Amino acid sequence: MEISQQTANTRKRRFFDNLMRGVFLSAAVVSASFIFVIAGIILVEGIIPFVTDNQGVGSVDLWKFITGATWLEGVTFYSNLYGVGFIIVSTLYIALLSLLVSFPIGVLTALFIAKVAPKKLAESLRTVVEILASVPSIVFGLFGSGIILKLVYDFSNLFGYQSKGGNSILSVVLVLAIMTIPTITAISEVAIRSVDKAIEHGSLALGASVTQTNFKVVLASAKSGIFASAILGIGRALGEATAVSLVAGGRRSGFSFDILDTTSTLTSIMLEGMKETVGIDYNIRFSVGLVLMVVILLTNLVLNAIKRKVGNVHVK
Amino acid sequence: MRKILIAILFLSSFTFVGCGPSEDEPTFDTSKNITVYTRDTTSGTRTGFMEGIGFPEASSSDSVLVQGFLIRDNTAILNAMTIDEYGIGYVSLSSVNATVKGLAFNGVAPTVANVLNDTYGLKRAFNWMLRAPGDYPSETVEGIVNAFIAFLGTTDGGDIINNAGAIALPSTTTWDSIKGQHPVCLTNNAAVTVRLGGSDSIQKVAEALTAAFKPKCGNFIAEHDHTGSGDAYKRTNDPAIKDTSVGKDIGFASRQFRGSELNVPESLRGRLAWDAIVAIVHKENPVSNATAEELKSIYNGTLKTWAEVLE
Amino acid sequence: MSSNIKRKTTDLFLQGLTYLASSISLITLLSIIVFVFGKGYKLINFQLIINDYESKGYVAELQHGSQFCNCDAQMDFEDGTYYSRRWGIAFSDSIDLLGKNVVEVEYVSPFSPFRALQDKGIGTEPILMRTDYTIIRIAFDDKPSALSRDGAQIMANELDNSDSFREIEFKTTGGGIRGSIITTLYLIVLTLIMAIPIGVGAAVFLNEYAPINRFTRVIRSLIETLTGVPSIIYGLMGLAVFVPLTVQLTSATGGNIISGAMTMSVILLPIIIRTTEESLKVVPDEYRQASLALGASRTQTTFKVVLPNAIPGILTATLLAIGRIIGESAALVFAIGASIKDNISLTGKSTSLAVHIWTMMTDEPANIELSSTIAIIIIFIVLLLNIMIKLLSARFMKRKLGM
Repeated sequence: MEISQQTANTRKRRFFDNLMRGVFLSAAVVSASFIFVIAGIILVEGIIPFVTDNQGVGSVDLWKFITGATWLEGVTFYSNLYGVGFIIVSTLYIALLSLLVSFPIGVLTALFIAKVAPKKLAESLRTVVEILASVPSIVFGLFGSGIILKLVYDFSNLFGYQSKGGNSILSVVLVLAIMTIPTITAISEVAIRSVDKAIEHGSLALGASVTQTNFKVVLASAKSGIFASAILGIGRALGEATAVSLVAGGRRSGFSFDILDTTSTLTSIMLEGMKETVGIDYNIRFSVGLVLMVVILLTNLVLNAIKRKVGNVHVK
Repeated sequence: MRKILIAILFLSSFTFVGCGPSEDEPTFDTSKNITVYTRDTTSGTRTGFMEGIGFPEASSSDSVLVQGFLIRDNTAILNAMTIDEYGIGYVSLSSVNATVKGLAFNGVAPTVANVLNDTYGLKRAFNWMLRAPGDYPSETVEGIVNAFIAFLGTTDGGDIINNAGAIALPSTTTWDSIKGQHPVCLTNNAAVTVRLGGSDSIQKVAEALTAAFKPKCGNFIAEHDHTGSGDAYKRTNDPAIKDTSVGKDIGFASRQFRGSELNVPESLRGRLAWDAIVAIVHKENPVSNATAEELKSIYNGTLKTWAEVLE
Repeated sequence: MSSNIKRKTTDLFLQGLTYLASSISLITLLSIIVFVFGKGYKLINFQLIINDYESKGYVAELQHGSQFCNCDAQMDFEDGTYYSRRWGIAFSDSIDLLGKNVVEVEYVSPFSPFRALQDKGIGTEPILMRTDYTIIRIAFDDKPSALSRDGAQIMANELDNSDSFREIEFKTTGGGIRGSIITTLYLIVLTLIMAIPIGVGAAVFLNEYAPINRFTRVIRSLIETLTGVPSIIYGLMGLAVFVPLTVQLTSATGGNIISGAMTMSVILLPIIIRTTEESLKVVPDEYRQASLALGASRTQTTFKVVLPNAIPGILTATLLAIGRIIGESAALVFAIGASIKDNISLTGKSTSLAVHIWTMMTDEPANIELSSTIAIIIIFIVLLLNIMIKLLSARFMKRKLGM
């Protein structure tokens, strides 16, 4: 009697165990499947303007869309002449410029915190960077709209250039740079700190100065981590929407590399006019989202390829 | 020790850089290019302005405008004039405030009085448009909409229009004398939503009107979504759009209705108020008057700098 | 020798660069804080948090039989406040929470007929005039109305020169953010309810049950890819999937809190899973083995032994999630919508604090002061959360080391 009772219990337990295992498994599968949901939706809704008739307005030409120099020719809801070519170019241009600004500042700050600064200063700077990293992006947009616009306008005036009320590529670059500096600093700092002390001591023992060691040996060893931070930084710059939309100026046509010209990015054009929209205007935003995903994917692939070429020095 | 000195040096150099450019340049450099701001082509304000200065081709076409113009909405143009010293734009008189400078037009100052006595030339009508009878989400909504239109014709409505900066049409009836004809206003309408849209130049006036009318008509909910005069017809009567999620019950336009919009019967459209369009510049700008010719030349690019305007 | 000098100069230059870079980072943060606080502190008051956003309008007339009082003021008024002695009410020019010029009621005498007015709308109760109300207009029988546009002084004078008035329109102060605060709170609770079970469950699977094979690796990398997606794309997904879903299943007509919570849950899943996994890893294997050896089932071990020990990590994940929810703007513009409302329901239109700021900044006119005030509130909350996370991690570390 007792033994079969035990067996029944064990069987019940095992059934319950397997049930719970199934529950946890499904949680994991559900989580993993969301990436497909996202990709699927963007693909499906984003393709619609290109393959259907858009309720009589006509399908959008894919090539014209990707290379077009005007957001929309014609009347909204009645036209299918959308183009994002110029926006793709300006998005990449802006991301590149903001990385050019934020990368040196971020890496050098990380070096400062990890190696140069006295303990207390390093601690407080680290906290400062952490705080900056957790500030919501809308606050950066607010800051940009309030101060950076005015600064850019005054600054450009000083040199005799006119900017359109401060809304310019430069303002977007500055706002994005401020947002990405904490990311780059935090990750680079971890990479720098995990460089094998032996390498560092070796360089010092050979007679190099502290600064030479820092720049030529430590930074070089932390290369891969620092590079990873740049990839993450560019990802953030490409994907930021609300902060950018407040300082960009909403340009609707024309390729331009003049940093004092107004601009649009893929994300800001998606956001604008989002209050209420229907029909082809609604679907086209998914198409822009699709383009954005492709751009991000391509950028990541390119950067990862460069990273592999740059190579790894042995780190702990 | 040395390191700390270097640090202090660099930090202090920043405070100086930070202080410098924010000092406003007191002198206005007339050799600067004029930055031209405009509304987009669906804007009734743009139509009114361009037709008023004798440049009607520019109402619906961007290509005749000077290169490098900026498209902004009503408030953004206003804001831009407070920052951009060399800009010029145009807004509705009801939006003008003390932060910008309004130019006189052909020698006449942009005031309410001058609009009413017809000496200020850049004036245009604010109009409203309704949906076809029976085409509303409910009879209550239709009742409230009709009561609202009646309210517009009363002195009470006129007061609100004037308070918001537009110019009301003269009237002698009070809401009290006609409210008996609108029993819908005696019921509690707190669950009823009326959707208003159209011109964003009229947004301020429209919101003031609904805010004032709500307590008079059962505290209904007014939802405002103003996207441009072109949407007044589209969101109330265009079969492709009026029944979607962006459809509206009342549409406002800051221009005369035209083209296919005139297919809507006259009983469903009317005039709300007069408004004046004012060309605005930064307060430091020495220009205070502009003729129609000058404005047209600025907007089509013949006059490029402020010096040329002042000649 | 010269190479030494060259090296010293290069060193100095590089050092200078390093200091420069760090000071730029520091100054930037300080500027942001200074700016936000500077612009926003003027509007900080309790009213902002508890008031409605929409002002409630009233139209009223004198109660039957009451008339002007000729009352003396029971206090002195500052410059800029204009008192109508005949009616016992004082007005001043002021700015409301949205930055617009208004005529505000400063004082109502206890004997003034304005104390209790007759509602001309559908209300049956008398309306009591309060000192934070703003007057829109006063209409008279025999002369043009006094409008708020004309200012407090003219309004007080016109009133003083009249025996009676036809009606008065006034409204309560608006611009309060109570609605958005409540929405944000609902959003947090709902998102956590959805995201934590799924996230913890997935982490438990990955750490406790999953065999080390290709399938597990694929699942892990799929979850990791979610972190690289910009938040606006999540917003599009929410708009295309969750909004129609909730519209079909409930009485919602557009973006709502439920669809917003669903979208936020997806955004937060990778963070929750990762943090929970870390804290699960830290629980010593001996615990699990001891529990199993004592006869407990896998399930019992997980729930009664492993998870309780991982609670600090799960709490950290929760706090991180809350911080992200409060700060998220782009995705929520699509998934919840941007209409500012006062009556919050799970299926009605409303918006979160961050989107509220965005709406104010893109609206007519851009309201930087109020946005900064809301930003101050948000920054405070996020900072508080970060401090709590740090404290929790510190305790977490202590446990890990002092095991």
